[in-house]
Amino acid sequence: MIAWFSRLAEGRFRIATQLYVGIGGAAVLTLAASLVALFAFAQVGDSQSRVNEGTVPELAAAFGVARGSGTLVAAGPRLTASATQGELDRAAVEIAPARRAFEDELELLMSQEAGGDDSLRDETRFVSIQARGGELIGNIGAIQQSVSEGFELGNASEALRLELSLLRDEIAALLVPALDNQLFYAMTGYRSFREPPAPRDVHFSEPEIDRYRVLVGLQQDITIVDQLLASLAVLADRAKIEPVEEQYESAATSIERALSAVDETETSDRLKELFGQMLARSRAAFDLRREEVGVMDRQQELLLENQDLALGLGQDVKDLVEDSRSRAGVATLASSQAISTGRALLLALNIVSIAGAVFIAWLFVGRLLVRRFQALSSSMREMADGNLEAEIGIGGNDEVADMAAALEVFRRHALEVQRLNLVEKLADELKEKNNELEVVLADLQKAQDQIVMREKLAALGELTAGVAHEIKNPLNFVKNFSEVSAELLEEVEEIMKENEDGSLTEDQREEIAEIFADLSGNLKLILGHGERANRIVTDMLKMGRGAAQRELADINRLVDEHVALAYHSARATDASFNVTIEKDYDPDLGNLEVVSQDVGRVFLNLVSNACYATDERRRSADESYEPTLTVTTRKMDDGVEVRIRDNGSGIPPDVVDKIFNPFFTTKPTDQGTGLGLALSADIVREHGGTIRVFTEPGEFTEMIVELSAAPPDFDGLLP
Amino acid sequence: MRLCAQVALTAAACAATVVLGSAPVGAQPEEVPGVSSERVLFGQSAAFSGPAAELGRGMRLGIEAAFKEANDSGGVHGRRLELVTVDDGYEPEEAIENTRRLIEEDAVFALVGGVGTPTSRSAVPVARDAGVPYVAPFTGAGFLRDEPHVINLRASYAQETEEMVERLTKDLGITRIAVVIQNDSFGRAGLAGVRAAFDKRGMEAVSIGVYPRNTTAVKTALVDIEVGQPEAVIMVGAYQPVASLIAWARHIGLDPVFMTLSFVGSNALAEELGPAGAGVYVTQVVPFPTAGSPRIAAAYRRALRAHSAGAEPGFVSFEGYLAGRLVVEALERCGPEIDRDRFVQALRDAGYIDLDGFRLAFGEQDNQGSDAVFLTVIDEQGRYRPATRLGARAKQ
Repeated sequence: MIAWFSRLAEGRFRIATQLYVGIGGAAVLTLAASLVALFAFAQVGDSQSRVNEGTVPELAAAFGVARGSGTLVAAGPRLTASATQGELDRAAVEIAPARRAFEDELELLMSQEAGGDDSLRDETRFVSIQARGGELIGNIGAIQQSVSEGFELGNASEALRLELSLLRDEIAALLVPALDNQLFYAMTGYRSFREPPAPRDVHFSEPEIDRYRVLVGLQQDITIVDQLLASLAVLADRAKIEPVEEQYESAATSIERALSAVDETETSDRLKELFGQMLARSRAAFDLRREEVGVMDRQQELLLENQDLALGLGQDVKDLVEDSRSRAGVATLASSQAISTGRALLLALNIVSIAGAVFIAWLFVGRLLVRRFQALSSSMREMADGNLEAEIGIGGNDEVADMAAALEVFRRHALEVQRLNLVEKLADELKEKNNELEVVLADLQKAQDQIVMREKLAALGELTAGVAHEIKNPLNFVKNFSEVSAELLEEVEEIMKENEDGSLTEDQREEIAEIFADLSGNLKLILGHGERANRIVTDMLKMGRGAAQRELADINRLVDEHVALAYHSARATDASFNVTIEKDYDPDLGNLEVVSQDVGRVFLNLVSNACYATDERRRSADESYEPTLTVTTRKMDDGVEVRIRDNGSGIPPDVVDKIFNPFFTTKPTDQGTGLGLALSADIVREHGGTIRVFTEPGEFTEMIVELSAAPPDFDGLLP
Repeated sequence: MRLCAQVALTAAACAATVVLGSAPVGAQPEEVPGVSSERVLFGQSAAFSGPAAELGRGMRLGIEAAFKEANDSGGVHGRRLELVTVDDGYEPEEAIENTRRLIEEDAVFALVGGVGTPTSRSAVPVARDAGVPYVAPFTGAGFLRDEPHVINLRASYAQETEEMVERLTKDLGITRIAVVIQNDSFGRAGLAGVRAAFDKRGMEAVSIGVYPRNTTAVKTALVDIEVGQPEAVIMVGAYQPVASLIAWARHIGLDPVFMTLSFVGSNALAEELGPAGAGVYVTQVVPFPTAGSPRIAAAYRRALRAHSAGAEPGFVSFEGYLAGRLVVEALERCGPEIDRDRFVQALRDAGYIDLDGFRLAFGEQDNQGSDAVFLTVIDEQGRYRPATRLGARAKQ
């Protein structure tokens, strides 16, 4: 199986194919489940139809008959309760559907019986149901007819009652005034306003009073008849009608007797006629009532009969239902077995089907497609976000894989392009930086030149005071000797004028010769000092010009000159400044080929610093402090060593390493450029020498300059 | 079902109206039966046939005269007053049927001017159940004085009989008094009134005659009272039998003081009696119609002439006119928006009402306007005169 799947996975399948295979698989599973369900339902249906075709209709019909008989039995009183023919008709119409339904149910039940295949049924039960049902229907019809008859009778008796009522009113209208008049006549003798009253023995006589009595009797009898007829209307028992009729007959006899006794007048004739009619109608009323009661009795009998029939029917139907129910139970059991079998099968198939569908969904859709699409999508998103490093690892052999491969190619291209871009960009940046640096360098160089020049000018300025002093000294000599010489010449002139003849005595001659010797000495001194001044100026001019020319220079002299220059410069700046300079020059030192201006500047610089240090110490030290500067030169194997030591403030340890750095200075901002030692170090280095420092803060500082005898070739320190 | 829906709709409409509180002033709500913006319809079930027909006709004449008078002056709050009448023939069954029809089919606003005690006794429960006011019935029966939706105009029978006995005993010193009654609730009401008056004075009727209602068979009653040899006979009945009784009594030589209740229908009685009527006393609950005072009598005659030129003034139509005036007064007091409860309450709240000098007083426990009883007598010409001889005067 796994091998098969792996073979399958290796093969090339289009997505459509995969989907078709997946969905098709699900469909096949569903179809299989449906077929099984169909089969199971067919089984159930089979069992059910056996129940339906056999037992259920029979049961339904039996129930129908039972229910219908109940409805019909209930319909009987409804018919009898109708108050009018209209109500009866309506009730009959309303009952008709129940009646028809009952007939239909009965027929259905019978046909079930006829078509039934169960030989175990009780045939007599069906016969009994049929008979009782038929009788019930017949009885309903009979009740309806009887009620209808009752209405006719009722209408007739109502009409009779109305006639009787009218007759009674008419009789009363005659009888009441007649009675009133007869009493009045008997009592007063007056019959009318026109006639005079009858004599008393006439009107208050036995016959008149009898007449009155007869009328009173008539009125009483009428009242009795009235009451009897009223009671008749509510009599429902046939037997009780007889005694009432008996009483009526006696009242009627009494009325007839009274009427025969009434005088023959117009009024009495009318009265007799009315009474005759009333009595005849009263008798008819009794007959009608008897008939009515008979009809009602018959209805009652029919209703009772119906109840019995319904009970019998109910029992029959109950038995039948029991019977059918037991058979239905068997059929239902079979049906339910089929249902449970079908249900189990269906459940199993459903599980398989759902499992298959889930597997297909997982395999084809989830694993083979969706997950890979998701991977592809996330790769694409990552690339879009700029991450080109992640590899696209989507396997398979379909369109997704193709897309992944294409994406991978795209990714690599993109990566390459990105890298190329980066290199180019870096190169550009570098070039730009270079250009910038070049510009900065040029600026720096320019700045350095300016600074060096400034330093030179500063040094020149510093020297000027010393130079002036140096020049002033010879110039003083020149001046003094010139003044002495001029005085000597005046002495000569005077001597020559001592003798008026212009002759000279020997003494004078000797004196003049002596003066001339002095003059000559003076002139030599003047010349010597003039040359000295000239040389100083020349040296200074050389220095200012900055010409970098190597020449053999007497180092001792170079040192001595610059010590003097520095000393005088310091003195010129501060009159209170003083220092004892101890010089220990090695006479064998000799000459070295150096750029004497540069090297001289180094010494000047170092001595100046030393002077500054001692002066600084002096300012904070007590009176006993004696500022001392020791300058020593020594001949070395391959060069010279110049030590310049002072007992000044010394250099603190945290500063000593920085003193040769350009622009580093401990002096106030306006007194130092910070370039002195840096330039000195450079100069010494250019001459193949070294410059070192030994110091003890608060004690001393010793700068040691070593200059090589065989300096390297160079074109000068700086332009 | 549809009725339910309608009721619901109506209820909803009512609720909406209440909620909105903006029922248009001009539009009288249609649910008050018999009332529209143009008219108010009243109903009268009374006897227009049979022995009491004159009473029904008289009441109708008076009411119509009063209505015409009001309508000619523009109606009440712009509404015309109309009267629909039906005949009950003084039969209670008919009265029930008529009342029902007037309320349900004709949709009258109120019933006015019913005639008779037994008919009123039958009609009032129907009106009560429908919530319809029953105004100014032509009867003084006591039970009507306890019905909240009945408005009585006139004094009660008990007040009339009390006045009779008072006058007979006080003015004439008569002690032997017989009573003739009609055998129905009217007769018994009258008898009860007489008995109350007798009991007050420790007296008893010397004899009592009874005749069947709706007949003139009064001779037996005559024989019966004659036995007591009465000096005076108080009669409680319709005008025909009463007239017959008086005629026969006079004919046979029995000549006591005859006194009868207002209900007898005075003009009809006088006509029926002819010359034999002289000296018969009739108590009245309205002033003398042809008298100069109070002013209401002149107003009545004017209205009667305007309504029916040939009509003779009489007590019954005067009472009808007063009934009409009472209705007008009540409607005036209701204001433009009327309903049945407001109609009744307007009178009960009114206190004293002066109808051109005829004073009425109602109250929360008093639904009878007038307590006045007037004694009149028939003269030789068969005409009524105020009974000054007996010192007839208003009780209050």
